[in-house]
Amino acid sequence: MLRFEHSIAIFVCIIANVFCALNSVEEDVGTGKYVIEGRVFPADDQDLSTWQVDTRIHVNGGEYIGFIKDDGSFTIYNVPTGSYVVEIVNPDYMYEPIRVEINSKGKYRARKVNYIQTSQVIQVPYPLRMKAITKFRYFQMREQWRLTDFLFNPMVIMMVLPLLLIMILPKMMNDPETKEDLKQISNMAKMSELPEMSEMFTSLFSGGAATKANVKAKQIKKRQ
Amino acid sequence: MGVLSSNLKPSFLGLLKFLNNMNWFIVFFSLINISVCIYEDQIGKFDWRQTYVGRIKFAQFDTVSTAKKIIVATEENVLAALNLKTGQVVWRHVFETASTGNIQLLHVGEKVTTVTGSNPYLVRGWDSNTGVLIWEWSLTVQNDLTEYSQWWVQNNMLVHVLPVFGSHIEVTMYNLLTGSNRGASSMLPAIWTNERCILTAPHYTCISGPLESQLLLSIDVTSNAVKIISKPLTDYVDIQQTVSVNLRPLGGNSIIPGFVLGNDKIVFIRDNNFEKSKVQLGDKSASATVVDGANGHILVQTWMDDVTGFTLTADSVSTGKEVTDIYCSDKTLNIPKPELLAVMCTRTSREQNACRLLINAADDAVHLMQQGGRALWAREEALSRARAVEFVELPVSDTDAALESEFDQKEGSVWSAFARRLLTQYQQLQNLIRSLQGESAVQKTPSSLVRDYFNLHRIIVIVTDAGKIFGIDNLSGEILWRRYEAGLSAQSASVFTRRSARTPPHHAHLSVVATQRDTGNGFILSLNPITGELIDEGKLILNVRLLQCMMLHVPDSEKLHALVLLDEKENVLVLPSSAAPLVEDVYMYVAEKDTAKVQGYSLRFDGKGVRAQRTWAARLGGAGAARVAATATRSRLEHVRAPGRALADRSVLYKYSNPNLVLFVVERLDPLYKEEVVAVALDVVSGALAGAAAHRRARALPLAAHADNCFVYLYRSEKHRRLELATMELYEGKERWLEPGVPFSSLESNQVPIVEHQAFILPATPTAAAFTITERSLTDRHVLLGLSSGAVVELPWAYLEARRDESLPVAAPELPLPADATLNYNRTLQRVSALHAAPAGLESTSLVLVTGLDLFYTRVAPSKTFDLLKDDFDYYLITIVLSALIVATYSTKYFASRKMLKQAWK
Repeated sequence: MLRFEHSIAIFVCIIANVFCALNSVEEDVGTGKYVIEGRVFPADDQDLSTWQVDTRIHVNGGEYIGFIKDDGSFTIYNVPTGSYVVEIVNPDYMYEPIRVEINSKGKYRARKVNYIQTSQVIQVPYPLRMKAITKFRYFQMREQWRLTDFLFNPMVIMMVLPLLLIMILPKMMNDPETKEDLKQISNMAKMSELPEMSEMFTSLFSGGAATKANVKAKQIKKRQ
Repeated sequence: MGVLSSNLKPSFLGLLKFLNNMNWFIVFFSLINISVCIYEDQIGKFDWRQTYVGRIKFAQFDTVSTAKKIIVATEENVLAALNLKTGQVVWRHVFETASTGNIQLLHVGEKVTTVTGSNPYLVRGWDSNTGVLIWEWSLTVQNDLTEYSQWWVQNNMLVHVLPVFGSHIEVTMYNLLTGSNRGASSMLPAIWTNERCILTAPHYTCISGPLESQLLLSIDVTSNAVKIISKPLTDYVDIQQTVSVNLRPLGGNSIIPGFVLGNDKIVFIRDNNFEKSKVQLGDKSASATVVDGANGHILVQTWMDDVTGFTLTADSVSTGKEVTDIYCSDKTLNIPKPELLAVMCTRTSREQNACRLLINAADDAVHLMQQGGRALWAREEALSRARAVEFVELPVSDTDAALESEFDQKEGSVWSAFARRLLTQYQQLQNLIRSLQGESAVQKTPSSLVRDYFNLHRIIVIVTDAGKIFGIDNLSGEILWRRYEAGLSAQSASVFTRRSARTPPHHAHLSVVATQRDTGNGFILSLNPITGELIDEGKLILNVRLLQCMMLHVPDSEKLHALVLLDEKENVLVLPSSAAPLVEDVYMYVAEKDTAKVQGYSLRFDGKGVRAQRTWAARLGGAGAARVAATATRSRLEHVRAPGRALADRSVLYKYSNPNLVLFVVERLDPLYKEEVVAVALDVVSGALAGAAAHRRARALPLAAHADNCFVYLYRSEKHRRLELATMELYEGKERWLEPGVPFSSLESNQVPIVEHQAFILPATPTAAAFTITERSLTDRHVLLGLSSGAVVELPWAYLEARRDESLPVAAPELPLPADATLNYNRTLQRVSALHAAPAGLESTSLVLVTGLDLFYTRVAPSKTFDLLKDDFDYYLITIVLSALIVATYSTKYFASRKMLKQAWK
């Protein structure tokens, strides 16, 4: 079946309203929308191949999210007046957050974040310059075996010192000179000491038995 | 081996315990570490992360860069590059959750271009290789009705089409890189535009006109001269069909502008004319696109129906002949409502098509296929929207089950019991011999899903928003089973383990209580969490909406805990109905989110059925308007064994450990102080108030957690412009109210607990909060917080305790969030939405699953693994030391005796 094409092509040319170009980076005060600008500087030891992708800008904990360009600069668009905490989120490096305040006239003020003394103002330059403070230390270090650690371990000292005493003291006893010295010292001590009550009583009741025991003890020591 | 190890385990553990008892010895060789975090070599040992991007909205192959990728933009406001070979995420950018992050356009040319937001829009250019931002500019459209805006990119110009229905189309072009306007935004007269319009770039096509003489109109919006193509609709579709003709564009970045008309007609736009396609749609739900094939343009279609299953066809556009090497029809493939996202075909040496098809399914899974239907990889993007999570215990092994069943038998004489004992012993012996012979491989497959000694191995059941339910192995992160229920909406789903796998003759039973997608009625799914198969009631769709659901605390004769459901007519449904007589002293509460009204119910079996009776009611916000921002109940998995805590002066402070407490965080408007946050701890059985706190000039965060006698909630202090974390603790005092062993009763106690409050500054933005849960709650408790920065941190309760005394660390007003308290170290988790904790068999350990855009599983030990040897415990060293000591003892004994002998001879 044949049909007539009744498609109508209308050729009209209309030059409609011409809007002025909206250049975005300049602040559009009329709508009350502002931009927050800044630049992130990577740490010296940072892996420079992926840091731009891994780093994000969070404003007020993710209410606005910004991304950084190759050179580390960032812009957060369409922010109304108010107070914002700008954080740099990177999985490996820590950055200090900064509070940016935009007043109704479009004036910017950037200051350090202080949650405790909220009225304290320590101003920082705007546009923001964010530098990595430290690398996050997520992991615990495995202890490495070191001789000094081992020797100064209180357990080891506790074990070694008595051992030394046991081993060395008898050796010292064998030396005749030191024996003399020791005797002298003990004599001196006896001379200076006042007779003790208990000793007096024991000597009174048991007579010479005590001295005998002393001799015996010495004999045992000698055998060792 | 499995049998051998299970047989040897008790003796081996005995040895371990013995070694553990030699505490001083272990201390001697290993210094105690103080911090909680893991070692660097433990990365991935106890944890895994799975990254997702969300349901894919736009996708395009990146053919420019050397490493082949697919660039995707998703409904979760994520832009990502996927590796073409593996499907792994190469790079990913997550935009804002709100409408400002909504992706309107994805264009992949030399660079990737995105348009996000909704007036103001942001136009960004990305490097497809690295994912680095290249350019960015903002665009505000001076028109309020931007809802029907359409975007596309043509010759390095961004084209914005804004139809004003019934009047004109506004077309504006911008320089893609700078955003500078070409100088004009033209208005094309088009009084025929309406809601039934689509964009098939560069044509804007509509069906318009009165019913009898409907016209198909199309306009090329980019040409300087306005050319309208207008044809009567009846040229293309039958007259009786014209009443509501469907009009949809071809999908998957079709290279010829075209659209699908009605059920099966495809119309292309060529040389300013409509051209009927020689090929018709194979099914009315089919998704079709035109790609460049080996021999000219080909029309690729895919659909799924009951007869042929998943079908993929391709036909030449010019000749209408079928291209056979792409065809596929497979009944085993389950891709509900397939949709072609992107198709790329290249010519091989033998004039054949080598195609890559990216197919989206209704269950949010995305599949990459090649010609002939062979799947290369699939991504389960449903997991990016997990709603409910349950940790399910695994069944005991067959031999253990046989042992257990021995004690279950109640009837039978002594002799039969003896015979059974002999039989099981014989079986054990057989198993032992078999394992010694090395036949372990046969046993391995079923035994891999059995309970381990410390009960650390579980199946995590995840119910997702798309209606897909997954069973995931918690140790490996592998998906064991998946089940798609098209009608299930998991917006407010809850999951109950109604019977654990601990009772061998009965299988485990898990129920998902959710709503039906279209009606909002109750939807109950009962399945075996180990296999994912439907059991018992199976799929049960109620014809009424549900208000509240709970699991009965007492099991029935089959050890199954009944589900008690309260519907909106305040009728009670008990599943299974045979368990109705067990409903005794059961209480429920229903809180209305937007009015902050709470209603208490008492449920009782009256001989015929269970009836709900209203008992108490409360308006938590007082007289004015209020809304519940968050509620926190005690976890079903928590069992508290410690009645009090020892103080520094050796006295005991008894905890108010009421299991019926619920914390409501209510936000309300106070006429004097503007917004106010009120936290109320209610006993939901009696309706009695246990504790409350109010914070003025604050806005609540939808986060709260409750465990034992501790409460945590968060709010934003508007006065100080900071986030604060508040804690609340309830104590009975130094005297115990009840005798030890007497169960707590909400209705009988009339004493008021001591309430302690504390608030701390949190220098981060949390998005999820939870308590760690351990088997007996004897271990320290930690609060887990998911932060917007992508970290999940654990905060010891000792820092947050509301009751301060000398024994605790000094309370800092600002909570420290040290890096080593981060569970997920540098594995950033985007948009953490919930934290789920479950106790392990070890008292020290709690299993944690983090859901959100990503999944992350780990285990935490708040007081360190005091009941487990460290994983780096040096077994060799201790063996060497022990044997050396034994040798030394005997040798010295020998030498000593010789010396004595020698001395005696002197």
